[in-house]
Amino acid sequence: MSNEEFYNSITKAIVNLDEEKAIDYANMAVKEKMNLLEVIEKGFAAGIRKVGELWEEGEFFLPELMRGAQIMQNCLDLIIPYLQDASEKVSRGKVVIATIEGDIHSIGKTIVATMLRAYGYDVYDLGADVPAEKIIEEAVKRNADIIGVSALLTTTMFGQKKVIELLEEKNLVNKFKVILGGAPVTSKWVEECNADGFAENAVDAVRLVKSLLD
Amino acid sequence: MSFQEWLKDDSKVILFDGGFGSELIKRGLESGKIPDILNIEQPEVISEIHRSYYDAGSDMCQTNTFGSTPLNLSHHNLESQVEEIIENALNNIKKVRPSGCLIVGDIGPTGEFRPPVGHASSDQWYSSFSTQAKLLEKGVDLWHIETISDLEEMLAAIKAVRDVSKKPIIASITYKKTKRGFFTIMGDSLEKCIEALNNENIDVIGANCTLGSKDILELLKIAKSFTDKPISVKPNAGQPVVKGGKTYYEQPVEDFANDICEMIEFGVKIVGGCCGTSPKTIMEIRKIIDSI
Repeated sequence: MSNEEFYNSITKAIVNLDEEKAIDYANMAVKEKMNLLEVIEKGFAAGIRKVGELWEEGEFFLPELMRGAQIMQNCLDLIIPYLQDASEKVSRGKVVIATIEGDIHSIGKTIVATMLRAYGYDVYDLGADVPAEKIIEEAVKRNADIIGVSALLTTTMFGQKKVIELLEEKNLVNKFKVILGGAPVTSKWVEECNADGFAENAVDAVRLVKSLLD
Repeated sequence: MSFQEWLKDDSKVILFDGGFGSELIKRGLESGKIPDILNIEQPEVISEIHRSYYDAGSDMCQTNTFGSTPLNLSHHNLESQVEEIIENALNNIKKVRPSGCLIVGDIGPTGEFRPPVGHASSDQWYSSFSTQAKLLEKGVDLWHIETISDLEEMLAAIKAVRDVSKKPIIASITYKKTKRGFFTIMGDSLEKCIEALNNENIDVIGANCTLGSKDILELLKIAKSFTDKPISVKPNAGQPVVKGGKTYYEQPVEDFANDICEMIEFGVKIVGGCCGTSPKTIMEIRKIIDSI
């Protein structure tokens, strides 16, 4: 099997949500001492991108999206310890993510966190109902690049604005990019909050984070 | 007249109530607070909203118990108060219900998904819905299981209610519109959901929330060809817009009412509204129904 064929098989295993095969390929790549960064990018990442596309097209739904991201994560966990030097292990970026205080809806935020992890970002998921102060404290502690704040309720989305106001107060506003998520969030709201962007879904969130960090 | 008699009467279009959460927001609902606890904390506000819908012309209104399952309440550390919440919810609606109008027991999703999205099992869902249904049974005339986005969760809820009650059930699923048609976020197509509900011991098949009136109208036309059961609709008044720190639903009441009118002409049996609709919306629909 050529390298290209091997990458395609990995992609196919991810898209078919075939964990057993995907794990086999990950082990094979490690055993054969292949270029693991290329294996990740051309095989696994291509697979999860395809899963994302299928979800956006309405071919896949939440269970497939989550399963794909979980399989991808399990394969990455297996490969990452074998990456040869420290430079290969550098993450694509650090993201601190939380659902804002007063809001217990964590599903959308968890999906975004899972997808970002699958794409190789270091994600610190603080859970739901997290006060703005706490989110900032963790972002500073983790030296995050991105702060993601989720709100499902129109009554709690004002907490998203509070995060940015607090960053301004603390003179930290240039240190992080702040992105928003959740059903009621619109581009107008992002403007009103002075945030750096918003994503309508998990696939969009990956695109947004990538564009902000590149 | 009973609900079953309304169902049998071909000339009767049953008018349900409109949005509850959005009415609470108008009255200053505190950020992140679960509306169900207000049954205890602000019973007069809850009764006032019910009354405003009955006054606007609703034939039936639902209890403020959308989130009153132990599973959902546990997200707010309120599961130990489930009995008190439901007891109060029943009192709040009973004292304003006009004679001839009905009380509907409202059952919403547990907020817990099955794997791989979450960790819930059908047994957990069943047990949680069962607790809620047992507590509501004595004070309601019928049931509305609503805003459910997973067919499996709906089937668990129906079983739980049927095991404690013989009263009529309206089973409403929430759909999103995709390029391939209407699906739940878990991937069940409209057709699959309706076929599954056709085989259940329920009385009315419904769709509510997420979609606005235009999309629900489109959905209804498809749904009609898959079932002989009566259909119920409770669309949203478009999508929420935030302006100057406040939330608005901008679809004009007249547009919403016109879509509902078309749905009635298409044979829908029960009409009402979900998020963003108000007593004003219900009043408009009442006028339409009375003019038919």
